[in-house]
Order: sequence, then structure tokens, then C-alpha cells
Amino acid sequence: MLVKDYMTRHPCMAEPNMSVIEAQRYMWENGIRHLPIVGDGKRLLGLVTRQTLLVDPARLGSLDMWEISRFLSGLTLKDVMVKARDVITVEEDTAVEEAARIMVENRIGCLPVVEGGVVVGIITDTDLLTQLMEMMATRVPGVRVTIRMPNVRGELAKLVAAIGAQGWGILACGGVPVPRQPDTWEAVVKIRNVPGEEVVAALGQVEGQEIVDVREM
Amino acid sequence: MQQPRDIPVLDVKNLAVSYETRYGDVQAVRDVSFTIQRGEAYSIVGESGCGKSTVAFSIVSFLGRNGKIVDGHIMFQGRDLVGRPQEELRHIRGDQIAMVYQDPMQALNPSMRLGDQMAEVLIAHRGMEQKEAEEKCIQMLERVYMPDPANVMRRYPHQISGGQQQRVVIAMALLNGPSLLIMDEPTTALDVTVEATVLDLVAELQTRFDTAIMYISHNLGVVARVSDEVGVMYAGEMVERASVADAYLRPGHPYTLALMHCVPRLGMDKSSSYLYPIRGRVPPPSNLPPGCVFEPRCDFARPVCRQRRPELREVEPGHCARCHFAEQVLAGELRLPDDLIPDLDKMTTRGEGAERILSVEHARTYYEAPSKRLIGGKKQYVKAVDDVSVEVRKGRTLGIVGESGCGKSTLAKTIIGLETPTDGKLEFMGVDISTPVSQRDLDLIKNLQMVFQNPDSTLNPSFSVGSQIARPTRRFRAVPHSQVHAEVIRLLDMMRLGANYYDRLPRQLSGGEKQRVGIARAIAGRPELVLCDEPVSSLDVSVQAAVLNLLLQVQQEMGTTMAFIAHDLSVVRFFCDTIAVMYLGQVVEFGPAEAIYAPPYHPYTEALLSAVPIPDPRTEQKHIRLSGTVPSALNPPGGCRFHTRCPRRHMLPDGGRICEVEVPPWQCATEEHRIFCHIPLEELRKMDKVVTVEEETHAG
Repeated sequence: MLVKDYMTRHPCMAEPNMSVIEAQRYMWENGIRHLPIVGDGKRLLGLVTRQTLLVDPARLGSLDMWEISRFLSGLTLKDVMVKARDVITVEEDTAVEEAARIMVENRIGCLPVVEGGVVVGIITDTDLLTQLMEMMATRVPGVRVTIRMPNVRGELAKLVAAIGAQGWGILACGGVPVPRQPDTWEAVVKIRNVPGEEVVAALGQVEGQEIVDVREM
Repeated sequence: MQQPRDIPVLDVKNLAVSYETRYGDVQAVRDVSFTIQRGEAYSIVGESGCGKSTVAFSIVSFLGRNGKIVDGHIMFQGRDLVGRPQEELRHIRGDQIAMVYQDPMQALNPSMRLGDQMAEVLIAHRGMEQKEAEEKCIQMLERVYMPDPANVMRRYPHQISGGQQQRVVIAMALLNGPSLLIMDEPTTALDVTVEATVLDLVAELQTRFDTAIMYISHNLGVVARVSDEVGVMYAGEMVERASVADAYLRPGHPYTLALMHCVPRLGMDKSSSYLYPIRGRVPPPSNLPPGCVFEPRCDFARPVCRQRRPELREVEPGHCARCHFAEQVLAGELRLPDDLIPDLDKMTTRGEGAERILSVEHARTYYEAPSKRLIGGKKQYVKAVDDVSVEVRKGRTLGIVGESGCGKSTLAKTIIGLETPTDGKLEFMGVDISTPVSQRDLDLIKNLQMVFQNPDSTLNPSFSVGSQIARPTRRFRAVPHSQVHAEVIRLLDMMRLGANYYDRLPRQLSGGEKQRVGIARAIAGRPELVLCDEPVSSLDVSVQAAVLNLLLQVQQEMGTTMAFIAHDLSVVRFFCDTIAVMYLGQVVEFGPAEAIYAPPYHPYTEALLSAVPIPDPRTEQKHIRLSGTVPSALNPPGGCRFHTRCPRRHMLPDGGRICEVEVPPWQCATEEHRIFCHIPLEELRKMDKVVTVEEETHAG
């Protein structure tokens, strides 16, 4: 559950003197949204996203037609990239949720993973969603139950004990506080190889807890 | 997804490479396409001269001054490398593509310490401080399982073994965390046991660093072990592209089919199976046939093959072949014709109970090593052969196997008389042969001949083939003087070379043909015993099959006894009746071939068998790896010489203390099969088979 387990190693990268037009084509053709700009030895110099490649119309407004084409063809990534000192990065051993916090708080979609100034990978919002997906065992069929419980120590243990008593295996398990109800938590549990009715029958017995949602997926 | 995982690391499209020569451009590679995904290992196989390395060099644009890419694209991480300025390519090469070459000694600078060479990569590319770079290098050496890395950093390349050198090269290639690692025959120069550990390392890199690997090899067994996808190249073209399982078990191109049938698999032997050689040789790129490039050598060729060049087409999903009749080949409807293989079925039981022709008892051959002291000091000896006893019966074949440096060749040289034994009794047909060859009488020399490993250095370059074969014929008076010429022609015919080879010079022959001349010369005097020292290891697999078949034929027709030295266990198993496994100057196991390859094993034999790469994806091998290197023969370990590396020592009480102290006894499993080990036979018998093959699911 560290960044190094979910990042993309060996991301596509570009040099600072690549022209903006070429970079745009490169990113579109390969479906890339974020492009780390590196120098010798893959040292991070900057970052280009699709937004940074958009040319400000206000800047073009003051130029005539001939100047526009010269301006555009002369533009390189060096001129438009976010400079390395402004790029927020993480290390390989950062926890995934920490990376998520950084991305949410800064409202950004990617973090280059850097070790000693050298780009070793990149982690993006998609990678974090992948991690969420894997954490909830989305690809494995089973019964997914959402249970509401009071915010009291030992409640989750009760639930787990109830599942354990049936001899079932837990595929995935997660818990979140219910929004705007600080005294209540919701736990999501995914159980393999059991019919939904049996799960309801068994977990409905747990004292003080309430099944909010059951679905087989 | 930000980086859709389907951007291949390397996507080669319709690549064509030419070399400019005095006679115009020569197309070395044509229309080659393949893709390698992130973290995938892709292999390219083919005989020598098929353009495998040219493809690799074109990716790193190392084609040399006269090479150029004339067509196609090399997409690396989604960007085309063709036509990019040199400066940019240099960046990419240094940072993202790394290459490991065949010979580690040539990739390392002999005059620099390993640590300095490795650190240079980081200092030059990343501008790291010396101190920090060295730390990084040590970490990387640890990752490739180099023992005592800090010490290795201070050594020079010649002070470490071949396998360790290759590890240093691999570690160096990985220092910059490349996304693509190109390996050009990285294990060809290494022993099987070392090769196995290097291949394990490659597999681990692939999963741990997500590195894409392009693996070039001629060894089908190695390819089956490292990769998932394989491209077969022939004469500069990709003739088949498939998953390893498909290519090996259900090939769609006759060339692939032929390649699979010309190597012996471990467990095959001469009495029950055949090797199919491929006739002819790879056409030179300047003189390609007009139709299918493989047509002149193909056993299924039809008129259409000569007229129309087939396209590489998808025969079934994920399986492409360049053949007009790929579907039929795939379905196994086309069979290899039988006329390629000589009639060899009488081989089986000959020599049973025949008299002993050669017996070696307690032979020792020591080389004197100079004392380290300037004056005086005790003399030291390299114990190349130490207390070896073997015997060969008339008409049978003795195989000698072992890692390099185990004394195989010294034993052969001692028997032939090129080295004088220090001690022991060597008898050949009842005559003592512990004399050097210069003191032996002509009759003995005539009856004891040798085929050497490297035909290039053993044929005189300035004499014609005919006169080189005629000389022993005349000297040994094999035939009356007037018939010498006819006899040479007969020998050439027997070697399938033909009378027109009589006046050719060695440089006009290919490697396989030269080796045939070497064999013809050895058998010219009609010897009783022929010693073959690695006769096929420098040859391509297709030629190897032909030479092995030829040796079998010679043996059958002339009743010659043979001693066959090789490091390839599959070949030895195929070719020999009796096998001696050698380790550090001693025979550790001796017995009939089938007994050696089944339990009870000597622990060393077991390790060798688990290391040998098998060209069959269905086989399962036990995973036993020997640690460390072969100890020095100057000062071999006491007790059992194998105890320093033995993986089975723990089976004995007290962690195998006895192995360090006492010389093991010879234990006789059967009358002819003996094992040199402390572990009781019952224990050894209980071990599982090293190699198991899944049930055959279809007729191949």
C-alpha cells in the first residue's frame, strides 16, 4: 500500500527542448495527460499537463497572424512547463493515502515519484482509483454488505467475529464515518462464496448494527 | 488512465536495415515487427547470421558507419527513434535503454577497478558525488546477489569469475533504471549452473523493476525459460511470432519446426529418437532466394514457395507465421521426411558385455604452479585431474560432463598423450599409455585419435582439405599408397561433403563443414577410440544435429569407440551410453546414461540437471541453484570436494560435518552405477526426479 506498488514505472517523458506542437501530438497520440520533463539522468526539470499546453488567448490577441505562427512554432516545453521547484512530488515509500491527500488538497491529478531528484515513476488519480478498486476486490465476485454501526470501540470486531463464526472469508473490508453523523460509522465488507440471504440472516443478528445495503457483485 | 498500460515500451514496425558495402547495399534485416510491453520479456531466436543482433543494434543506433535504417519505425515509449538527432538518441540510450552483451569481459574495462567503472555511469549521467555513487553501486550489486559487493568494487574485472562479471554488467545496465534492457546472448559464454542463476536474476528484474527485456539467443532452452513471447528470425526476416508455448509445441513455420527437432531434449537418447538436421545453411543477405527465404532448406517446399514471397500473417489469434502452408504445418499435417536421418536403429544394444578398451585407474594430472615466494617455498600443484577412474567398453560411448575447469579436457589430453599423467594407470587395449604422445608408437597413435572443439584453429589454413585428410591416411597406412586419393574421396563422401571439397581450403568452408573435415581426419586411420572434445559446442543447432548424426553413423559403420566431452547435458544424454560427471578434478558419479539422469543422483548431478535449460515449456524442473563458484584446484577443499557448495549436506547428521573431514566412499547403486557421496543410497533414491514433463496433450 505504498506509492511504489501502484505507480507506473518508466513513464513516458520528454526533454525540455521538445517543441510544444510535437509534445501535443505525442500526448494525444498516446493518450498521455501528464508528461514529466527530464534532463540528463532522468532528473526532474518540470511537468507538462494538457492544461499547460493550452495557449492563453489573451496573449495571442495582441499578435497578428504571422506573429502567431512564429510564436507557436518557436515555443518549447521549457517555456510552458511547471518548473521543478513548483512541482509537488512524492517518494516511492510514501503511503498511497498520503499521495491521495496531497493530490486532493492541491487539486492536482498527478504526482511524479522522485528519488534523489530522479524520476522513477508517476502516480495519478487513475492509479489511486485503481487502488480503491483493488482494495474493494471489485474484480472478484462476492456479496458486498454495508453495515451501519455506532462509533464505539469493538463494534467492528463484533462484526468480524460474526463473519468468522460462519467460517466465511473476507475479501475486502473498509470503514468510513457517515457524513454529517459523527457518531455513526459505516463498514463495507465483501464476502466470497455465500448467498446474499445467508449473509443477511447471519449479520442481521449482530446487536446494535444495521444492514444498510446488500448486493452481489 | 494517465499512462494507458497499452503503450508498448518498444514497438518495432516493418524495420529494414541495410549495410553499405563495396558491392552496394546489403539488406541485413527486412520487414521485422514486434512489440514489447512494460515488464515483458520478448525473445528473438535464430541461427547465427539471421540478423538478430542487427535488430538490437538498430534500436540503440549502434549500426556502425555503414549501417542504416532504410525503412520502418522504432517506437520507444510512443516516440519514433528513427530519424532523431544523435544527441537526443544518446540521452535516451543512457537513461532509458541499456544493453548487455555476450562477453562480459569485453564490456568491462580491464584496466579500471569495477567500482570506478560502475560509479562512472552515475557520475556522468546524474552528476552524483563519488561517495554517493559508490553507495548506490554497492546497493545495486547486492540486488544482483553479488557476494561481498564492497570488496568486489575494489577489484579488477579479471579477478572475478565469468558469472560474476556478467552480474556486474547487468548491475551496471540497471543503475539508471532503464525501461528497456536489451540482452544479446548474455549467458552463451557461461556454464549451465551460472547461466541458471543469471536467468533467475533476469526473471526477477522483470517483475521487480517492471523492466521490459528484449532477449536475443540461439538457445531454445534459455528462451523457453525467460520469456513469454518469442520471435523467430531467419535470414533477416521474422518468420514466426507467437507465445512460447505455441512456438514450441505447435510451430507454424517449417523453420521453427525444424529448429525444435534438431536439438535433443533432456531425456532423449539415440536408441529411441532422432535429430533432424536442417540441410544447407542460412543464405547470405546479398544473395537471397526469390521466393520464400527458407525455401531452399525447407522440406515441405512446393513450386509456389519458389515463386511468391509469403507474408507474415496471423494464422490464429496471437500467432503469426510467414509461410504459405502455415495452417498445415500448425496442424501437424506436414511431417519431416525420414531420409534426412541416417539409418541408425542398430545402435541400441551393441557393445553389451564387450571387452574393456580403455581403462583409467586413479589417474592424476597435476600442473606445477609457481610458488608465490621469490626463493624457496613449497611447490604448489593445480590438481586438474585427481584420482579419476573411468572405463570404456568397445563400441560404446563415454560422456564426460561438468562445469568448466572441472578437468574434462585435461583428462582427454592425458589419455591422448598431450599431457603426462603424474600418477595412475592408464591402459588402452592392454597397452600402457601413460607416455607422452611423442614416445608412443605409431600403431597406438593411429588407434587413438581426437576431434577438437574449435575446427578453425585445428585445421591448417594453408593446406587443402584433401591433403589434410590424406596425410594421416598415408602415415597410418590405412590403405595402400595408390588408393589414398580414393580413400579420401570416400571419407569426404561419408562426411557428406563430396569430392569437390578435395581442393578447397579451410577458409572456404562453414563451421559445420570444417568440423566434418576434423572428424574425417580423425577417423582416417580407422582408430579404435576417438576422443571428441566439445565437438559441437561452437556450431549452430541445425549443424550440430548433422554433426552428431554423422558421428553416430561413423560409430555404427566402423564400430569406433568414442569418448565425448561436452557441457550440454541434453547432448551428452542423447549421444552417450556411459557418463562420468566430473567436479573439480574428480569423478563424482559414473554409470549408464539412463541411470545418471534418474534418481539416485549425486547432489552435483542433481544441481546440473536442474540448471540445464530445456526447450520445452511443459517441463517442470526442480529449483536447485549452486551457491558460490568452483573452488580453486590449487587448494581444493578437504573431505568431499563438493561440500562447499553442496545443497544436500543438511541431509546428513550434524549438518554434514563428515563431508568436510572425510573423503566420501564410492557407493554402488547398481553394478555399473556408482556415486561418490556420504549420503546413504536409500536417501538419494528417495529424491524426486529433477525433470518432469506434463502429459503430452496433442501429437506434435
